[in-house]
Amino acid sequence: MQGTASHSPSLAAPQQATRTAAAARPYGRYLYLAINIAILVFLLAPIAVVVVFALNPTPFIQFPPVGVSLRWFEKFFASRDFMHALWFSLEVAVLTTVSATALGASAALALARGNLPGTRLIVATMLSPLMLPAILTGLALFQTYVLLDVGRPTWGLVAGHTLVTLPYVVRTTLAVLHNFDTRLEEAAQNLGASPLRTFFEVTLPLIKPGVLAGAIFAFIVSFDQFPVSLFLVSPGNETLPVTLFNYLKFDLDGTIGAASVVSIVLAFVVVIGLDRTVGLRSYVKL
Amino acid sequence: MSSTATTRPNGLALFILPSALLFALFFFLPIGLMAVMSVLTGNPVVMPKVAFTTRHYARMIGDPFYLEVIWTTIRIGLVTTLVALLIGYPLAHWMARIKSRTGHALLLMAVLAPMLTGIVVRTFAWMTLLSDKGVINQTLISLGLISQPLKLMYTETGIVVGLVHIYVPFMVLTLTGVIGRIDERLEQAAENLGASPLRAFLEVTLPLSLPGILAGSLLVFALAISAYVTPILLGGFQIMTLPILIYQQISANFNVGFAAALGIILLMISLLLVIAYNRALGLVSGQRELQ
Repeated sequence: MQGTASHSPSLAAPQQATRTAAAARPYGRYLYLAINIAILVFLLAPIAVVVVFALNPTPFIQFPPVGVSLRWFEKFFASRDFMHALWFSLEVAVLTTVSATALGASAALALARGNLPGTRLIVATMLSPLMLPAILTGLALFQTYVLLDVGRPTWGLVAGHTLVTLPYVVRTTLAVLHNFDTRLEEAAQNLGASPLRTFFEVTLPLIKPGVLAGAIFAFIVSFDQFPVSLFLVSPGNETLPVTLFNYLKFDLDGTIGAASVVSIVLAFVVVIGLDRTVGLRSYVKL
Repeated sequence: MSSTATTRPNGLALFILPSALLFALFFFLPIGLMAVMSVLTGNPVVMPKVAFTTRHYARMIGDPFYLEVIWTTIRIGLVTTLVALLIGYPLAHWMARIKSRTGHALLLMAVLAPMLTGIVVRTFAWMTLLSDKGVINQTLISLGLISQPLKLMYTETGIVVGLVHIYVPFMVLTLTGVIGRIDERLEQAAENLGASPLRAFLEVTLPLSLPGILAGSLLVFALAISAYVTPILLGGFQIMTLPILIYQQISANFNVGFAAALGIILLMISLLLVIAYNRALGLVSGQRELQ
């Protein structure tokens, strides 16, 4: 973008227009950067405010903050309700990650290598929970569990979470499967490896980054999931987002801030881990 | 693609079965049951004698209150989509065109950071910013710019601000992919021929990114109309949208049939949007094949 102006005069461009464009360029460039920085502030400031609020000792919102204290973190970690919810959320997220990864990765393998008819339609269907309202998935599952009279078991919640996290695993695994050279598998087989051995020694190591990326997405999405959980949790066995939501309806003190910081830190640790191990760039295309 | 001889499913095709079972039991069956419930007079488990009825749908169409709720939901969705597009486009353009790898990585982190912060947490963040004694009002009052707090929360504007913040990353990621595929030399050619950068953008880049704009907008709209947490907390239970109404029918009124009918309406709107979204993305990949 920047380098073009210098050699444009040698072309037969209208002199007048070139000069106007060159004069307008620095201002346009500054405006462009200013707008973008304002947008970045809009995106990141609310997260910063949560952190400030969590560390501020006053029990109400005060700006600018008056000091730094960890009392809200103490209150959060001492609260039975919040701790129970945190552990329950982690339990559900781990179970969801395991099932979504196992199901999603094998589905992606079948879709990429199984010669299935109607692959496009199957992929579209498997990705559809991403776009269809999650609150409907919650409502529909809730009605089904009521009709079948199964109550609100943890497996029912995990099934709902698996449904909405499976698309991430399918997508990241399909992306690596489409990118790697199938001749590697053919070569292994030509050299005498059985299909099973080819799978474990060639295919699996190659798709591992995609599967891992999908698993991490599944974990984070499940840990933060709200609409499906809203319908499927039972009283006394609530996930952290549901507990936070119920607390928020009545109270707005720093405990929520502390709880938010804990969940933000958790997500960031996971994502930085992801970036270090497999790289983010190739997996966040929508 | 690679193996030309065999087009019949092989052994690996069986690996689709567990996921197919999950979708059959926990997706298609429940949605089918929801459709059935929406045309029944009651819960067939509790009441043995249930009959077919269209009264849930008739109630929705006959009562201006429910039509108003549907319209409010769509209106909030449209405004959110428009603002998300206006905010998301410049950032997506920057991300797609930035030369430095570190710069790109930092921008990507900035876009992903809000995405990785749960919806409840982000809505809470906006409550601390927008409420009467929130950061924005306190700052404006201490600067002497206003004497009474501005009413930012419990308004549709507040809801839209929160929703834009939550869904703009989806817009940015969709647009970045599409803008990144537009050959930068096209813009440079326009500028070399004397067009200002703005005109080169308006006449070259913008038209070529239309499919991305369409796809991103449909995605954000679909997500915004199904939002529950943000409208209820930032709207302070005063502004009614379709998802809020659906949950209220379950939790307060226990009217499962009516909730199902409302759900089916929301599902229909979303399905149309999903189909349109896939078409729009199809246009993008079609374009790439032509290049």
